[in-house]
Amino acid sequence: MRLYALAVYAFLYLPIAIIALFSFSAGRSASSMQGFSLSWYGRALNNPFVMEALWTSVKVAFLSACLATVVGTMAALALTGMKGRVRRVFDLAVQIAVMIPGIVIGIATLIALVTVFDLVNPWLEPLTGLKLSLGTGSLIGAHGLFTMSLVVLLVRGRMETLDPALIEASNDLGATPFGTFRQVTFPQILPAILAGFLLAFTFSFDDFIIAFFVAGAETTLPIYVFSSIRRGVTPEINAIGTMVMAASLIVLIGAQLMLRRSQARPRP
Amino acid sequence: MAMTRSRARALLLTPAGLWYAAMLLLPLAVVLIFSFGERSQIGGYAPGFTLEQYANLPARFAAFRNTLTLAPLGTLASLLIAYPLAYYLAVKVTPKWKTMLLVLVIVPFWTSILIRSYAWIFLLGGKGIPAFLAMFGLEDVRLLNTPFAVLVGIVYGYLPLMVFPIYVALEKLDKRLLEAAADLGTPPWRAFLQITLPLSMPGVLTGSMLVFILLMGEFLIPSILGGGKVFFVGNALVDLFLQSRNWPFGSAVAVGLVLVMLVTVGLYTRAAKRFGAGRDDAALM
Amino acid sequence: MKDDQQPISRKAFMEELERYRKGSVTRRHFLGVTGLGTAMAVMGGSLPRMARAQDIGNRVVLATWPNYHDPADFDAFTDKTGAYTQVNVFGSNEEMLAKIQAGGSGWDVFVPTNYAIPTYVDAGLIEPLDLSKIPNYDPASYDPRFAEAGTIDGTVYGVPKNWGTTGIAFNSSKTGGVVDSWKTFFDGARDQFDGRVMVHDYQLTTIGNALVYHGFSFNSVDPAELAKAEELLIDVKPHLYAISSDYQPSMRNGDAWLTMCWTGDGKQMNTDMPEIGFALGKEGGEIWSDYYAIPKDAPHKDAAYALINFLLDPEVNAREALAHGYPVADARTNALLPQELLDDPIIYPAAEALSPLEFGAAVTLTDPNRAELMARFKSA
Repeated sequence: MRLYALAVYAFLYLPIAIIALFSFSAGRSASSMQGFSLSWYGRALNNPFVMEALWTSVKVAFLSACLATVVGTMAALALTGMKGRVRRVFDLAVQIAVMIPGIVIGIATLIALVTVFDLVNPWLEPLTGLKLSLGTGSLIGAHGLFTMSLVVLLVRGRMETLDPALIEASNDLGATPFGTFRQVTFPQILPAILAGFLLAFTFSFDDFIIAFFVAGAETTLPIYVFSSIRRGVTPEINAIGTMVMAASLIVLIGAQLMLRRSQARPRP
Repeated sequence: MAMTRSRARALLLTPAGLWYAAMLLLPLAVVLIFSFGERSQIGGYAPGFTLEQYANLPARFAAFRNTLTLAPLGTLASLLIAYPLAYYLAVKVTPKWKTMLLVLVIVPFWTSILIRSYAWIFLLGGKGIPAFLAMFGLEDVRLLNTPFAVLVGIVYGYLPLMVFPIYVALEKLDKRLLEAAADLGTPPWRAFLQITLPLSMPGVLTGSMLVFILLMGEFLIPSILGGGKVFFVGNALVDLFLQSRNWPFGSAVAVGLVLVMLVTVGLYTRAAKRFGAGRDDAALM
Repeated sequence: MKDDQQPISRKAFMEELERYRKGSVTRRHFLGVTGLGTAMAVMGGSLPRMARAQDIGNRVVLATWPNYHDPADFDAFTDKTGAYTQVNVFGSNEEMLAKIQAGGSGWDVFVPTNYAIPTYVDAGLIEPLDLSKIPNYDPASYDPRFAEAGTIDGTVYGVPKNWGTTGIAFNSSKTGGVVDSWKTFFDGARDQFDGRVMVHDYQLTTIGNALVYHGFSFNSVDPAELAKAEELLIDVKPHLYAISSDYQPSMRNGDAWLTMCWTGDGKQMNTDMPEIGFALGKEGGEIWSDYYAIPKDAPHKDAAYALINFLLDPEVNAREALAHGYPVADARTNALLPQELLDDPIIYPAAEALSPLEFGAAVTLTDPNRAELMARFKSA
């Protein structure tokens, strides 16, 4: 059993070890080792396009995750315990958004927005001098569509396990609805909200398929990696991959430690 | 009170509603409309009403066939590899190591799937595993650019998504049930079949559904590890929109893919219900 | 002193000028902050630094083909103008066209091939070039065969980058000799080279060379001829190593022995690994020329002109040719290239080897039947 687990971990980490190993190569080839050097790390960090792509990715992931978390949580709050047609329509929308393949979302968003922009721009441009085009906005919209639905599912799932007696008690004790939410409901659904935010951020940060279609002239990190790979993989790409992974490992372990500390603290 | 409550609900739902309308309803409606249109001379879309695009769908039969073979196969392979690991993590590992080992399952997920798949090109290419096998006398093994390579890439890419739901299901399992079974003299393998496996079914179904759905729309792994020879519906869509610029036919293929997915997932949930696996929308998470 | 060399933005310059005129700052201050002081001090000796004062922004986006530039030249461009070049690489003209057609590509310069230009002009996606902004382009020094497709109805839309051919690259240590016919290419794929042959991932050359195998025109859109080509391709498919336009890695590591190949890639591989050779199909095939062009909605047009002009400087162009191994149609550039390069049979094949080759036609690119044929081939 233990051996088996070891084998699976080896399977998971072998390619990553290879990426990390070749990132230290001194030569140009990304698939063989020619001496040891850190120069590719320096190059990646000094490459303005890498930094800009990273910044775009972080910006899009952060904004879309914030929006998705807030809007999704609001919807989940409203949907809990709700019945009727509106509820059914929303349930359907959530299910479709989660189930439809990313590639279909990407393509559909692309052709819909291009068509709408072509209709709107001839009116908009002379009036305001602005021109709508694909970019950060469409990325946030398309990523958020999927991640907001995840948040709805997570938060609603959590809401449904809440003890209604607590809320009744709070109401009976004269708390305003908002007071009840702030002091009773919110602390209890917070883990689900945070989990939703993290999932949303990760999804958007790592997404290539949807971004490939709707990014317009923007370049996110996965898009940069994709187009660099077509130019021939260099150890620079391996260095970027290794750094992103190391950073996420640090964040994960940090989060883990914080969680442990907060759990260790006795509850008031 | 009732009035303010429904008004609050409306307020809370409006942003999400607008988002769904603009980014889900509108795009899907456009795809549906375009799928009845015609291809303009230089590509793109020309308005019209024709069923020609749908009539042409059999031209992508092979893509649908490949997807519908490799997606279930990939799901099954992931399941078979993930289950023992999830079992090990949930049942055998001491709590001290558990979190650590769980984190290690997700970490690869944080490196771009693109870069990880490219690492497999090296591993499966002539200088990788085949060269290793040649040392043992297995000459001329070709792995890269085959359906097998795509399968490896798929399992590799989606394994964590399968491990987690199963782990969660097994974690919830009441260990006393197994102790009781052991006390009653049930052999471990029977206890597994009669207690552990049925109780972990919700996790198995969730994981399988998740991986299956993602595989149905996959195009990256086949195009990287399949050398352009393993063709999924996703690849057909990419070619139609990013090479031959046939938007109406591409839209029809997209509609076809969504329909096929709805049917297969629907059948799957019905079968799952028969297994008594509980709530389905929860199964999605 | 260091500060003086920093370029000053146009707006800040105007403000300083205004303040100087009003007399609120001294002449010395004005010349100092605007950099004109330095410029005047070194006038005559350093024209490149003057070029910095002409503000083209700090970026330019180039959409081009794989292995087609010397990265050092982009660094030189940055040093000279302050603008960084973002290079996006594409695999086919179809792909470029699709991206540009969807709008908002964000490109400033792109590199269409001869047969794609009429389509861009018809669709209104390409900018007529202002040749006064490309002084390094001297039409008189170019071989008209590789320059004429850039001009349509008297308007110049593209200036020539390189020309080349699509032939066969072979690893002679595995193939046991030169492969110089499409007959051997496609028949060998099903026989002695089983599992070792690569074809391009776009219809023009893959279908075109299958047509040539049967003795038809590379550009044929005749349904009966296309049917024969399809039959051949589908028969060959299970024996192929891959369908991909990114063939260098597989050829270099020995997994693939034979591939459809562009001139420069053939030269690059041959330079590093002499056992990899390059030959033209003796039945025919493609000859092409690529052009620098500017999309209609290019966001940084000044930078686009500056980049094109920079790359067409004969000295830069010669450095590029040395790096990528594609022939140049510019006599001034060729005068700077070493004789052995000009005599290289890969880069400048003998005229009789070129004579059976055909330029791709505009209709070949947009023909929907060829696109569908390619899709059937890939999904078979």
